[in-house]
Amino acid sequence: MEDLKANDKRSYIDNLIDFFRKRSIWMLHYCTGCGAVELPPSMTSRWDIERFGIVPMATPRQADVLLVTGYVSLKTLKRIIKIYEQMPEPKWVLAFGSCTVNGGIYWDSYNTITNLAEYIPVDITVSGCMPRPEAVIDALQTLMEMIQSGEGGAYKKYKENYEYYKKNQDRVLRKTAPILGSSETESIYQEKEGNYET
Amino acid sequence: MKLDKESIIELLNQKGVEVLDLYPNQISVNIKKDNLLNHLVFLRSIGFDHLSFINAVDFIDEGEFELVYHVWSYTHKIHVLNKVRISRNNPVIPTIVNLWEQAQFYEQEIHEFFGIIFEGNKDLSPLFLENWVDIPPLRKDFDTKEFSVRLFGAEIRR
Amino acid sequence: MIAAIRVFGYSLFAIFIGLLFMGIGRKIIARIQLRLGPPFYQAFLDVGKLFARKSITHNFVMDLGMIMSLAGLLSTMLFVPVAGHMAIKTSSNLILIIYLMAIGHLGMAMAAAASGNPNATIGVSRALTMMLGYEIPFFTVMLGLIIFNGTSSLELIAQSQAGGILNWNMVKFPLGFLAAEIALQAIMGEKPFDAMVAPAEIASGPMVELGGKYLGLAFLTHAVSIFVETGIMVNLFMGGASNVFTFVLKQFEIYLITILIEAVFPRFRIEQAVKFLWTVPMSIAVVQLAIILL
Repeated sequence: MEDLKANDKRSYIDNLIDFFRKRSIWMLHYCTGCGAVELPPSMTSRWDIERFGIVPMATPRQADVLLVTGYVSLKTLKRIIKIYEQMPEPKWVLAFGSCTVNGGIYWDSYNTITNLAEYIPVDITVSGCMPRPEAVIDALQTLMEMIQSGEGGAYKKYKENYEYYKKNQDRVLRKTAPILGSSETESIYQEKEGNYET
Repeated sequence: MKLDKESIIELLNQKGVEVLDLYPNQISVNIKKDNLLNHLVFLRSIGFDHLSFINAVDFIDEGEFELVYHVWSYTHKIHVLNKVRISRNNPVIPTIVNLWEQAQFYEQEIHEFFGIIFEGNKDLSPLFLENWVDIPPLRKDFDTKEFSVRLFGAEIRR
Repeated sequence: MIAAIRVFGYSLFAIFIGLLFMGIGRKIIARIQLRLGPPFYQAFLDVGKLFARKSITHNFVMDLGMIMSLAGLLSTMLFVPVAGHMAIKTSSNLILIIYLMAIGHLGMAMAAAASGNPNATIGVSRALTMMLGYEIPFFTVMLGLIIFNGTSSLELIAQSQAGGILNWNMVKFPLGFLAAEIALQAIMGEKPFDAMVAPAEIASGPMVELGGKYLGLAFLTHAVSIFVETGIMVNLFMGGASNVFTFVLKQFEIYLITILIEAVFPRFRIEQAVKFLWTVPMSIAVVQLAIILL
């Protein structure tokens, strides 16, 4: 409903700017997990996403779209958040595969997050494990339609609900207490650890 | 001088360690914790010059960790598994960094994932995990499923 | 007032032609790689999008550097005769043009150094090293032409080639043209001499911290530099042109050669590039100079 209201107010200038944005999506593919393998074929001659004006970029400053291509470990999540915050607005996030939605086959791992949308706002998630280049192109075209209709504004959500995202990020990245509670082995470990901490 | 497997087993038996003959080019040796350094130094002196890997196994029912030092010889073409059992309540073992430099990373990793302390290793800082406050994750009493549910909100569907 | 409008119009024209060339160049590269490629107006869409984005500046020097690099190249453009026309009536001195062209690079260097990113600093130092590499063979070729024509005015050199294709310097001095063409590849920063950009290696070098409007300015700078550099080559070797359309067509021919080389070559390391520029095109240029002098 809100999107429809927003659509009414859009002027010709907005439409023109959105046309530019839609036809010139520059992506930053942060190659985590296995989805990175699907991107070279979609860029080369068989699928060729450059015909939509979609080009890979080298740095977050130049990029419009962040592609998170697979499972995200805690160490990676830290970097993804840094990269996402470095990108100038407007920016969009494309999450690949089931790993970024519910953890995929790594759902019970101690070190990979299960739902990326809890930590940064995700515009589109592509289904598949891994999505084939056709699915990637389909997702990018959906993103283009969203941009043209003025929907793709998840980056605004990040600003509005920053506390929510920050809380989730801190919960997994800045742990202060053990998650599973204390046990005997743990206390022993902590003691020994204390001796060897420099 | 290339030694064959039988003469290596003979040499090790003379030293008073029990040897298991596994495969055409692999033997397994069970050693005591106190004897570990002497044994590895001896192996190195007869031409076992490459430490391939160190791995740890958690035998939670027996209350012990087993450390396996994989040593390979380029001259004899023999792979020796040196197995050491240490207590789970007091997981301390001397470091072998002075023997093989590459053991540094293996020891760091084992310390990180099992909480085994290598006495004498100066740098046991974490390699892979950042800001880890729980018990080491590859111990058998660490419930990764429960951990994932509590921290990341993973859903269990049946 | 009239002069100001003329300068503005010439600048818009140069930017338009440069962006058009960039778009067509991307299309041609795509066709060589058996891809469909973006539409020929893609560069305009990119620039439009970039200027509609939010941008992040680091300090005042970065803003100034970006504007300086665009202004440096635009002021170079004013001295390049376009089919006999010029924005302001000057003698279009070749030595002046070459010196003004360096301002663009220096502005970019300033902006990159101010952004504080180590990749940008590496990229700029490579760009300046590359400048050292290509300027010597290019200047040697130009010296030959200046001695032959007895003037350093670009317009007079262009006029002296009037009257058919056989009068062009390209035909009269093929060795010089070859050396200048190799040097031009480095001046334009195309492969195999794009060590200063190298996206996979130093994350697009001087542009690493530029986003939004700053990157848009960098795009415009690149567009103007394409116009200026191809314009100099057309005036030096292809005898200028009688009307603007022919001029742009000739410029496109020069750009096409560059793009075709760009599409099929890998990248030189910086020291290999400088070594190459100081040996192969340099010796060709010296031979050409000797032929002219004797």
